Amino acid sequence: MKDLLREYLPILIFLGIAIGVAGGAVIASYIIAPQRPDPEKDSAYECGFEAFEDARVRFDVRYYLVAILFIIFDLEVAFLFPWAITLGKIGMFGFWSMMVFLIILTIGFIYEWKKGALEWE
Amino acid sequence: MYELPNLVPALPEILLAVAALGLLMVGVFRKKDATGFVGGLAVAALVVAGIVEVNLARVPVVTTLGGMFVLDGFAVFVKALVLLAAVLTAIMSLSWLRQEKLGQFEFPVLLIFATLGMMMMVSANDLMALYLGLELQSLSLYVLAAYHRDNLRSTEAGLKYFMLGALASGLLLFGASFIYGFTGATGFDAIAKALGDGASVPVGVTVGIVFLLAGLAFKISAVPFHMWTPDVYEGAPTPVTALFAVGPKIAALALLIRVMVGPFGHLVEQWHQVVVALSLASMVLGAFAAIHQTNIKRLMAYSSIGHVGYALIGVAVGNAAGVRGVLVYLAIYLFMNIGTFTVILSMRQRGRMVEQIEDLAGLSKSNPLMALALAIFMFSMAGIPPLAGFFGKLYVFIAAIQAHMYTLAVLGVLTSVVGAYYYLRIVKVMYFDEPADSFDRPIGRSMTFILTGTSLVILLFFLFPEMLLTGAETAAASLFHG
Amino acid sequence: MYVAVVFLPLLGAFIAGLFGRTLGDRGAQLVTCAGLGGSAAMAVGIFLDVAVGGHAQTHELFTWISSGTLDITWALKYDTLTAVMLLVVTLVSFMVHVYSIGYMHHDPSVPRFMSYLSLFTFCMLMLVTAGNLVQLFFGWEGVGLCSYLLIGFWNDRPSANAAAIKAFVVNRVGDFGFALGIFGIYYLFGSVNFEAIFAAAPQHAHETVQFFGVSGNAMTIICLLLFVGAMGKSAQIGLHTWLPDAMEGPTPVSALIHAATMVTAGVFMVARMSPLFELSETALMVVTVVGATTAFFAATIGCVQNDIKRVIAYSTCSQLGYMFFALGVSAYQAAIFHLMTHAFFKSLLFLGAGSVIHAMSGEQDMRRMGGIWRHVKITYAVMWIGSLALAGIPFFAGYYSKDIILEAAFGAHSAVGEYAYWMGIAAAFMTAFYSWRLLLMTFHGKAHAEDRVMAHVHESPLVITVPLMLLALGAVFSGIIGVGAFVGEGREGFWREALVVLGSHPALEAAHHSPWLVSLLPIIVGAGGIALAYGFYVYMPAVPLGLARALPAVHRFLLNKWYFDEAYDFLFVRPAFALGRGLWKDGDGAVIDAVGPDGIAAATRSVARRMAALQSGYVYHYAFAMIAGVTAFVSWYMFLYQG
Repeated sequence: MKDLLREYLPILIFLGIAIGVAGGAVIASYIIAPQRPDPEKDSAYECGFEAFEDARVRFDVRYYLVAILFIIFDLEVAFLFPWAITLGKIGMFGFWSMMVFLIILTIGFIYEWKKGALEWE
Repeated sequence: MYELPNLVPALPEILLAVAALGLLMVGVFRKKDATGFVGGLAVAALVVAGIVEVNLARVPVVTTLGGMFVLDGFAVFVKALVLLAAVLTAIMSLSWLRQEKLGQFEFPVLLIFATLGMMMMVSANDLMALYLGLELQSLSLYVLAAYHRDNLRSTEAGLKYFMLGALASGLLLFGASFIYGFTGATGFDAIAKALGDGASVPVGVTVGIVFLLAGLAFKISAVPFHMWTPDVYEGAPTPVTALFAVGPKIAALALLIRVMVGPFGHLVEQWHQVVVALSLASMVLGAFAAIHQTNIKRLMAYSSIGHVGYALIGVAVGNAAGVRGVLVYLAIYLFMNIGTFTVILSMRQRGRMVEQIEDLAGLSKSNPLMALALAIFMFSMAGIPPLAGFFGKLYVFIAAIQAHMYTLAVLGVLTSVVGAYYYLRIVKVMYFDEPADSFDRPIGRSMTFILTGTSLVILLFFLFPEMLLTGAETAAASLFHG
Repeated sequence: MYVAVVFLPLLGAFIAGLFGRTLGDRGAQLVTCAGLGGSAAMAVGIFLDVAVGGHAQTHELFTWISSGTLDITWALKYDTLTAVMLLVVTLVSFMVHVYSIGYMHHDPSVPRFMSYLSLFTFCMLMLVTAGNLVQLFFGWEGVGLCSYLLIGFWNDRPSANAAAIKAFVVNRVGDFGFALGIFGIYYLFGSVNFEAIFAAAPQHAHETVQFFGVSGNAMTIICLLLFVGAMGKSAQIGLHTWLPDAMEGPTPVSALIHAATMVTAGVFMVARMSPLFELSETALMVVTVVGATTAFFAATIGCVQNDIKRVIAYSTCSQLGYMFFALGVSAYQAAIFHLMTHAFFKSLLFLGAGSVIHAMSGEQDMRRMGGIWRHVKITYAVMWIGSLALAGIPFFAGYYSKDIILEAAFGAHSAVGEYAYWMGIAAAFMTAFYSWRLLLMTFHGKAHAEDRVMAHVHESPLVITVPLMLLALGAVFSGIIGVGAFVGEGREGFWREALVVLGSHPALEAAHHSPWLVSLLPIIVGAGGIALAYGFYVYMPAVPLGLARALPAVHRFLLNKWYFDEAYDFLFVRPAFALGRGLWKDGDGAVIDAVGPDGIAAATRSVARRMAALQSGYVYHYAFAMIAGVTAFVSWYMFLYQG
C-alpha cells in the first residue's frame, strides 16, 4: 500500500507547485499593481472595441452539437496515438480491436452526416 | 503477444451490437419511413440473440475477454429474462409508435443498445466492464425516457433521469475507485483474492462497497435512491416505462447479486446491513406511498419499489436459497408487470392515452376479459394464492426464515397486506364503480397475444412451477460453485 | 305410523310456509289441518297400541352425531308417557288449528300463522318422542323458537315484540341450566341416551363432584340443573315473568302453547327423568317447594288482574305449580294426569276467552265487559264447564286430578309435603274465586262496553264453537275416564317402565288412604271461593273496591305481580344495558376500534400522505435524498467499526 501511494508523490508535488505558482501570480498582482478602478476599466474586454451587448447571450444549440461531435473525434485521436506506438507489441488482436472501434465511430459519423447534423443551415 | 480471445460466450452480445449498428445504417439510408421495418428486424435480432443465449446454457462457467466477461448459469438465466422483457416491450412499443405517429427508427435501435448494456451488466466480471454495461444501458434509457420530445413531461422525465443517473454513476465510480485504491484491482476475481477471507478489511473497502451499492440501488430504485422513479415512470412513454419497470431492474439486481456474492462474498458483514436497510425502506415506502396515487403509472412506480424491496430480501439472505428466491421473484415479476403495462397501454379513449385509475371504472362491463386479466395481475401482485405472485414472495420469505431473518420476513408480510389495499382498489374500481367511457377497441393482435400469454402464465404457474424452480436453482448454484 | 305421526305436521308447515302465497289462505288452512288431523288419528292408534296394549318401542331413524365416545342416534321412543303426551298434543293442536280458521280469518298472513302452528306441533312431538337428551333439547329449543315467532306474530306491535324477546331471553336462562344438566349427564354417564342413563343411574347415585372447591352429590346437581330448565319452560316462580306477557300473541297460540302443551314440557321432562330425580331427595324437595310456592303465588296475582287472558295465564302458572309439587312428592302419575286434564280445560278456557274477545271486537279488559251471556250462549256454557273443571268441582276433570295431587302431597308425610298441601288448598280457594270473578265480570252484571260494541256482540261461527264443544267434552270426561288407569288401581299396568318410583316414596299409594277431611277440603274451599266471588261481584260490588282501598299496599303488591318485573328490571336488565352500552361505547368504540382497525387505518392513511408528500418533484431534493442516504450508510459503518 505504501509503495502504491509513494508512486503518486511526484503528482502531489506537481500539484502543489502548480497551485502555488497560479495563486502566487494572482495574489502578487493584487498586491503590487495599483488599484484605481473606473467604469471603462471594469467593462468587458472585447478585442479592442466597445462591447456590443451583454456577455450573457444564448448561443445557437448547433455550437454544442458541433462541440460534442468534435470531442468524439478528439477522443478517437487520443486513443489512436498510444495504439500506434504499441502496435508492434499487441499484434493482430490489437490491430483489429482498433479497427472495430473505428468502424463503430464511422457508423456514428455516417449516421450524423445522413441525419444532417453537420449542416449549419 | 495477445491471443484472440474466445468470443463464443459473448456471441449474443456481439450479435446484438452488429445488429444495432446495421439497423442504424438501414434506417438512415432508407428513403421512406423505416420504423416498421427496422422494428421488425430488431425484434428478430432480439429473438435470435435469445435463442443463441439459451443454447449457451450448456457451457460451463467461462471467463473471457481478459477476465472481464463471465458466462455462467446465472448469467444465462438472467439474460434470457432480460431478452424476453426486451422482445415483449419491443412488440408493445411498435404498435404504440404506430398509434402515436412517433415513427422514428431510432427507437428500436436504442432498445437494442439498452438491452446490450443490460446483458453486459449481467456478465460483467470487472468493475470497468460493470461500468461500461451500466452506462450503455443508462444512456440509451435516458434518450428513451425523453423520446416523446414534444411532450413536456417526457422531456422532464428524461432530464431528471439523466441528472440523477449521472449523480448515481458518480457515486458508483467513487466507490469503485475506493475499492481499486485499497485492493489494487478491478477484476472481481482479483479483488476477491486481494480481500482474502475477509478477516481484516480496510475501512476504505467498506466505504467503497457502500458507494457502489448506492449507485446500483439507484438503478433498481431502492429507497432512498428511488426518488426519480415515480416522476420518470409517469413522464416517460408507456412502453418505455414498461421496459424501465422490468429490464433494468432485473439486470441491475443481477449485477448487484454478482458483485455482492462474488468479490465481496466473504464480506457479508460489510454489506448485509445496507441491503437489509434498503429492503426494509423499499417495502415500507412502496406499500404506503402508493395508497394516495391516482395515476396508474405512478402507482406502478411505487409498486415496483415495493417489489424490489421483496427481491432484496433474497439478496440480504446472501446464500443460494436467497438467490434462487430472487430469480423466481424476478421471473414472475416480469410477467406480471409486462401484462399490467399491456393493459395500461390499451387505456385509450377516443384515440388518446389516459392513465388515471378512475378511467378504469366499469372496465368489467365494457371489456370483461381485459378486466379479468388486470384483476389476475393485481391479485398476483398482492400475493394472493394460487397466483404466481404468491410463490414469488413465498420463496424469498422461506429463504429469509431459514436464515433466521425474521424481521425481514414479518415486515414483508405486513407491508404486502398494506400493498394489497391499493392493488385491490384497482379491482374494486374495475368491478364496482360506475362505468366511465369505455376504451377504444380493438387493442391489436400483438397486444392481445401478450395479454393472454402473461395472464395465463400468472394464473397457471402453480400447475407447472418445476421448470422455473429448477432453472433458478441451477442458476443460483452456478454462482456459488466455488 | 310411528314416524309419520311426528313428521306430518312438519310437512304441513313446509307446504303452508313455502307455498302459502300460491295456495292461498284456504289452501294453507286445509293442508295444515289435514296434517294435524292425520297426526291426531295416528296418535290415538299409538295410544291404544303403546299405552293400552303395552307395546313400548323405539324407532331409530339415523345416526345424527358420531364423534369419539359421543354417539347420538335420531330415535323415536314410544312408551306410555310419550303416548299420553302425543295424544294430548295432537288433539289440542288439531282443535286449535280448526279454531284458528275462524279466529284468524281477518288476518293478512294466515299461511304464516298456520305454518308456525304446525311447525310448533312438530317440535313438540319431537320433544316428547325424543330417545335421547340432545334430541329432546332440539325439540325444546324448537318449541322455544316457535313460541317466540308466535308471540311476536303481530310484529307491527312493539309490545308483542318486547314480549317475544322477553319470553326468549327468560327461557334462555332456563335453557342454560338444562344444557349444563345435559353436559353433566354426559360427564357422569358417558352417554345421552335415555336407556343407557336410566340403566346406569342407580350405580351413580352417591357419586360426588368437585366444583370450585365445593363438593356435592352429582345426581342432585344434575337434577337441579335440569329443573332450572324446566322452571324456565314451565314458568315457575322466578322464571315465570314471560308467561303473562306472552298473552300478546294471538289467543289460539295462548291456548296451544302457553296453556296446553309447551309450558308442560318442563313437567314432562322431569317425569321423563324420574329415574334420576328419584335418587335425589334434595332435588325432589326443591321441586316441591318451588311448585307449591308458584301455585300459591300465581293464584294471588290472578285474583286482581283485569285482563281476561292474563287471569287465565296466571291460572296456568298456578296449575303448573300443582303439577310440579306432585312431581316433587314422587306422584309423577298424578302430575301427568293433571297435565292431561289441564290441557283440555285450560285450552277450553283460553279458546272460550278468545271467543269472548272475538265477540267484543277485540276487547280484553273485563271491566269493560259484562251482561253478554244472553248473546253468546255456547261460549258462556263452555266457559262454565271449563271453570268448574278448573275449580275442581266433583265429577269434572279437574276434580280427579287436583284431588289426587293434594292427597299425594298430604300422603308424603313430610314437611315439604305438608307445606305443599296447605299452599295447594289456599291456591284452590283462590282459583275458584278468580274463576268465578272472571265469569261474573265477563258475562253478568251491567254492560260496561260502549253501545257500538254491544250491538255487535254475537256468537262465534261453527269453526270456533265446534272445537270448543269437543274440548268441553274432554274437560268433563277426561278425568273420570282416566282416573283409574293414570292414578288408580290400574296404574302399574298402565305406566309400566315409563315412570320410576322408588318404594321409599309411597305418596301416591298413601293418597288413596288419606283421611276423609283431607279429600274433602279442596271441594269445600272451592265452593267457598265460588261463594265469595258471588258475594263480591253480584251482591256486594262495593266490597272489593273497599278492600282495595282499605289495603292499598296489598292491592298494589298483587296488581304489580309481586314486583317481579320491576326487580328484574333493576337487578338484571338495567345493569346489562349499562354494561352493554359501556362495552360498546367505551370498550369497543373508544378502545378497540380506535386503537385497532380504525386507528391502524387512519395511521396508514396519514403515513401514506406524508410519504407521497416526500415526492416534491425537484431534482435537488432527490439528489439530496441520495446523498443523505449514502452519508447515512457510510456514517453507520464508521460508527460500527470505530466506536
